[in-house]
Amino acid sequence: MRLKALLFAACLSPAVAIYSDEVNHVDFHHALLGTPSPDSTFFLKPSTASNASLLYTLSDKLLVGAVNPRDGALVWRQNLSRSADSPTRGAGLLRGLDGNDALVGAAGNYISSWSAQDGKLGWEKRLTEGVVADIELLELEDATATSGIRDAIAVVGSDGVGIVRRLDGATGKTIWEHKDTSGDVPFQVSSSSTEVFYISLQSAMLKGYKIKVTALDPVTGQQTRQQVLNSDTDVTTPESVLYVGANSASPLIAWTDKSQKVLKINVIGTKEITSIAIDNTSGSDIRQITVHAPNKLNSLPHFLVHFVTETGSWAEVYHVDLRSSKVTNAYRLPYLQGQSVVATSVIGANVYFTRITEAEAIVVSSASHGVLARWDLQTPSSEVALHSVSEVVTKGKSLAVRSALFREHGDWQLVRNGQVEWTRYEGLVDAVAATWAETDIQEDLVHELEVEGHETLYGAYLHRVKRHVRDLQHLPDWLKDLPTRILSSALTDEVSNLDSFGVAKPVVIATKNGRVHALDTGKHGAVSWSVQVAETTQWDVKAILSSPGAVTIYPSDGSSVTLDILTGEIVLRTEPSDTPLHTIAVLSTQDSTSLVTAGVGADGAPVTALTKEDGILVTTSADGRVRGWIAEDSKSPVWEFVPPSGQKVVKATARPAHDPVASIGKVLGNRSVLYKYLNSNLALITAVDAKAKTASFYLLDGVSGMVLHATTQTGVDSTQPIASVVSENWLAYSFWGDVTADESSAKGYQLVVSELYESPLPNDRGALDSASNYSSIESLPLPHVISQAFMIPEPISHMAVTQTRQGITTRQLLCTLPSSNSIVGIPRPVLDPRRPVDRDPTAAEVEEGLFRYAPFLEFDGKWYLSHARDVAGIREVLSSPTLLESTSLVLAYGSDIYGTRATPSQAFDVLGKSFSKLQLVLTVVALGAGVTVLAPMTRRKQVNALWKA
Amino acid sequence: MQFSLSAIVLLGLSSLVSGSLTITIPSSGPLPNPHVLPATSHATLTTLPSSAKDHILSASLTRAATFVFELPTSPTAESYLLDIRSAGGYVFAPYRVDVAADGSVLGIWETFRGNPWDNRGAEKYVVDVAGKRVDDVVVEAKLVGRKAFYEERAKFSPLSLVKNPMVLLAVVALGLMFVMPKLMENMDPEMRAEFEQHSRSSPITGATSSAMGGGGFDLAGWMAGASNPAASEATQGGSSGRDTSGPARRRG
Repeated sequence: MRLKALLFAACLSPAVAIYSDEVNHVDFHHALLGTPSPDSTFFLKPSTASNASLLYTLSDKLLVGAVNPRDGALVWRQNLSRSADSPTRGAGLLRGLDGNDALVGAAGNYISSWSAQDGKLGWEKRLTEGVVADIELLELEDATATSGIRDAIAVVGSDGVGIVRRLDGATGKTIWEHKDTSGDVPFQVSSSSTEVFYISLQSAMLKGYKIKVTALDPVTGQQTRQQVLNSDTDVTTPESVLYVGANSASPLIAWTDKSQKVLKINVIGTKEITSIAIDNTSGSDIRQITVHAPNKLNSLPHFLVHFVTETGSWAEVYHVDLRSSKVTNAYRLPYLQGQSVVATSVIGANVYFTRITEAEAIVVSSASHGVLARWDLQTPSSEVALHSVSEVVTKGKSLAVRSALFREHGDWQLVRNGQVEWTRYEGLVDAVAATWAETDIQEDLVHELEVEGHETLYGAYLHRVKRHVRDLQHLPDWLKDLPTRILSSALTDEVSNLDSFGVAKPVVIATKNGRVHALDTGKHGAVSWSVQVAETTQWDVKAILSSPGAVTIYPSDGSSVTLDILTGEIVLRTEPSDTPLHTIAVLSTQDSTSLVTAGVGADGAPVTALTKEDGILVTTSADGRVRGWIAEDSKSPVWEFVPPSGQKVVKATARPAHDPVASIGKVLGNRSVLYKYLNSNLALITAVDAKAKTASFYLLDGVSGMVLHATTQTGVDSTQPIASVVSENWLAYSFWGDVTADESSAKGYQLVVSELYESPLPNDRGALDSASNYSSIESLPLPHVISQAFMIPEPISHMAVTQTRQGITTRQLLCTLPSSNSIVGIPRPVLDPRRPVDRDPTAAEVEEGLFRYAPFLEFDGKWYLSHARDVAGIREVLSSPTLLESTSLVLAYGSDIYGTRATPSQAFDVLGKSFSKLQLVLTVVALGAGVTVLAPMTRRKQVNALWKA
Repeated sequence: MQFSLSAIVLLGLSSLVSGSLTITIPSSGPLPNPHVLPATSHATLTTLPSSAKDHILSASLTRAATFVFELPTSPTAESYLLDIRSAGGYVFAPYRVDVAADGSVLGIWETFRGNPWDNRGAEKYVVDVAGKRVDDVVVEAKLVGRKAFYEERAKFSPLSLVKNPMVLLAVVALGLMFVMPKLMENMDPEMRAEFEQHSRSSPITGATSSAMGGGGFDLAGWMAGASNPAASEATQGGSSGRDTSGPARRRG
C-alpha cells in the first residue's frame, strides 16, 4: 500500500532529478574537514598489500578524515565530536601506523578505532574515569597480540589520577591497566621496542614541574623503573615541554630553559639530560621551537630542531648515540629570511627532512647535510605555511617528495616536487554568511537606458543611434569569436554557455575568522579571491548584501565593509556603532530599488529609527516577545505578541523578500477558482513549551500583530530541530512528534503543511468579495486554513523554498536532512493538503493533479538535490532566482559548501544535454539527401508521363 | 563475528550501561554484500526525553557491518524508534525497540510509519520472562529497497530515429513509390484494369493522377470544390486523351 502511494507520487511529480552526467557540472561541493591539527596529520599506507598512501588528519572540528593525496578528494570522514560527551581538552588525538588498518582517535572521554581504508568503526569507548590525555600505538607485535591490528596505549587523566591502559587493537578491550594515584599531571605516553613509558609531570616544591618517567612492561603493565628529571626550573606549564617522542629507537623528551638559550634533551629511560646551547645568529628572538623526529622503531636515531624567529628560520640536526645516549649536533640547515616548514619522512631506516621555504623545497638526509633534491616553488603563495607533512619516495637515485602544507587562513595544499597539485579551502568550514554577488557587466547598459528614458524623443533616438554606432567597434571581435563559438556549441552541451542567464553568479562567503571568500560557481566553486577583513576569531556577521559590482557585510558591532566583487578590494569601511546588534534586518526602500539594513538590539528594539523605509519591522527580543515597529518610532512598538506562559519563542520566519505569486487563485478541476490568501506581511512564530512538550505555531499579520492562525502540536521534542518556512499562501514546519498519553498516536518526525485561502468555497472571496485592496488594520479577514500532516523518515534541520524569477515554476520545499547529510527538494504538489484522505481522487481532482493522501511521505531518491553526495553540517540553505524562469540557484553552507541548480518543473526553457544537436543535424542532412535523390526521379517520371500521354 | 564483537563490547562496558543491542545487516537482493555500505551509515534510537538523559542514541557502522548500541539505564522504561540511515540510498525498515529501566531490551518489533505506535508488525525479539536475562540482543535489519538518485538520460540510437513516426511515414511513402509500380507490372492485365478503374473512381487518386499528368494542378481550386476543366474532362470523358495512364499503358 505504502509502496503504491510512493510510486504514485513518483509518477505525478515531474522528473526533477539530476542526470548523472550533470554531476559536477551543475553542482559543486567542498567537503571540508577544518584546520588539520599539526600533531594528528600524517601520510599513512593503510594496507600492507599496496604501496598507496592516504593523508589522514584530525581537524579542530574533531573530524577525522582521509584525503586522497592525488587529487585532494575526501575518501572518508567521521565526526568524533558527536560521540564525545565531555568537552575536549584542546584538540583531539589521532594515531596510525603504516600497514595497520586501524586509526585510533580520541576526543575528550571518547576513544574510537576506525578502519583506515574505509572509515568504518572498529570499536569505541566512552570513558567514565576522565579524559584521554594521550594515545600511542604499539609498533612492535609481541607474543600476546591476537590479531593483525596493533594495540593502543592510552593515558586517561582526571583530577590527580592517571591511568595507563593497553587496549586491544581489534576490540578495544583493556589488556592491562596501570594506575598512578600520586597526584601527578598525566602527560604523555611513549614507547620504545622494549618498554612503554608513562610520562607525568610532578609538581615541584616551589613552582614548575619535574618530569617523571615511569617505565612499564608492555606485556604485563608492571612498573619496571621510575625516573624523575630535574626540570622544575625550566618547565612551568605542560606546554613548556617541546616534544615527547614515541615509537622511536631512542624516544626523547625536549624542553628549553626559560630564556630559550639552552635546549635540553633527555633520551627517555635514561637519567642524563643533554644541554645544548642554542646558537642564535639571527639577532632576533626565537618565537617557536619545534622538534621533528622519526616515529618508527627501525629508523635512525636522528632528529631535527626547527627554530623560528620573527623574520626567518633555521634548523639543527642532531644524532643520538644509542649506546651512550649522547646527543651530538650533526649539521645545520642555514638561517633563511622568511618562514619555512620542516617535515620528517622515513624510508626503511633512512630519515629525510623536507624543508619548504617561501621560494623552494629541499630534501636532505638526516645523515649528511648534502641537499638531495631541490625544486623551486612554481606558484609561491603569499600565505605563511604553518605546518606540513611530507612523504619522500626514492626510485634508484632520483627522489620525489610530496608535502601537504597547511597555510595561514585555511588553505591546505599539496606540493609535489615544487608544483601545487591541489588546494583544499579548509577555511570555508566556518562560513557564517553567504550570498550571490552581482557582477556589474550590465551596469553601463542600464545606465545608458536610463539616460534614454529621461531625454526627449529626438534626443533619446540620437543617443541610441550613437550607442549602436559605438557598439560597432565590438563587431570585429565578435566576428572573430563566431567560428569558435559555433564550433564549441556544437561540441559541448548547454551548460557552458548559460552563464549570461545568471546561473554562474559568484558566491561570497564570510567566515568566522574574519575572512571573505569569493567562489567561482562556474569553476567547481574554486576560490577566486579571499581577503582578511577583520582580525578576529569570532566574526559575527549578521547580514550580507550584494549590489551590482560590490558586496557589503554587516557584522554585529554595527560596522560595515564593502568589497569589490571582482578583486576583493575593500572599497568602503564604516565605523562600528556603540551598541552591539542582536540582529540586522534587511528592508527594501520605498521605491524598492535598493536594500537598506536596520540594526536591532538584544531587547528587540531598533537601534536607530527607520526613516527612509516605508515599512514595518517585526522583531523578536531575547526575553521571547515579538514586536512590530513602524518607521520613525524606535521607542514604542506598534504591537507586541507575548506567547502564553511557559512557552518560549524559538523561531520567527517571514515570507522571502523575493516571493512572486504567478496566480492569485488555484484553478480546480471543475474550472472554479479557490482564491489564495495573499498577505505579504505574514510572520510565522514558533514557540515551544519544554515542560508540557508542546510546540505552538502562530501566524501573525506583521502590520497589526493579529493572530491569523494558531496551532499547537503535542508530544514535541523541543531539543530536536523544529524547522519552519512561509511562502506564497502556505507554510510548513516539521518536528519530532511522540506518543502522547491520551491517544494512540504515532512516533516519528512529522511535516505539516498548511495552505491559506480567502474562503472555503471556490469562486468566492469571502469577506473581501470584489475588493481590490485590503487593510491590515481595519477588519482583516481571517484565512481559511487547510492543513495536512505527513510522517517523514528523518529530521529536518532547516527549510527554504526555491525562488524563481516569476514564480510560475512549481516551488520545491528545500529541506536539510542532518542525519543523512543531504538536501532534499520536496515538490509542492506532493505536499498539497487538499489530497483526498481515505478515498481515491475524483476525476476532477485527478485533473487538478491531486492523488490519494498517504500518511507516510518517503523521500523519493529523485528529490535529493545533493543526490549521492555527503553534504555535512549544513546550517543554512539559500535560494536565488536566475534569468531563466525554470532555474533556481541553491547554496548550502555551514560546514560543507554545496551549490547546485534546482529545476522544480524541469529545465523547460533550456535546451539541455538531452537535446541532441547531432540528431538535428543528421535529420536535416537526411532530408536534404532525400530531396536531392528524389527530385530528379520525380522530374524524370513527370517528363516520361507527359511523353507517354 | 557479530556475536564475538558485541560480547567484547559488553566486557568493556562502563557501569552506566547495562545492556547492548546489536543490529546486523543480512545480505539481500539490493545489497548482496553489506560491507559496501558507506562508512557514514548509522543507526539511531530516538524517543521523547522523559528526563534530561540521552534520548537519541547513535551507532556508527562497524567493520563487521553491524550497529552496536550500548543501552543506558533510565528512570522508566522507554520505547525507542530505531532508524537506520545510509548514504548509498539504502532504505531500511524502522523498528520499535522497547527498553526496560535497567537497560535491557524488552522487545523489538517492526513498526509502520504513519500508523499508531501500538500497531506493531513482525516480532523480531521479545524478552523471555521465565528465562535468564539476555544482556546482548542481536537482531537483523530489514532492507526495504534502494533509492535511485539519478535520472536516466535517453540514449541517442539510430533505432530511435527509425522509430520516429515521421520517419516511419516517410519510409512507407518511399516504399509505396518504389514498390507499387513493380507490383503493378507483375499484375495480370485484367486485374490491373480493374484496379485502375477502381482508383479512378476515387477523387483523390483521380486528382493526383491528373496532377501527375497535367503538371499544373490547382490544389486550392480542387479543395474549394471548383471543377478543374482538365480534371472534369478526365472524369467525364473516361478514356479521352487527357486520361493519362490507362490507355497509354494498355497500348504498351
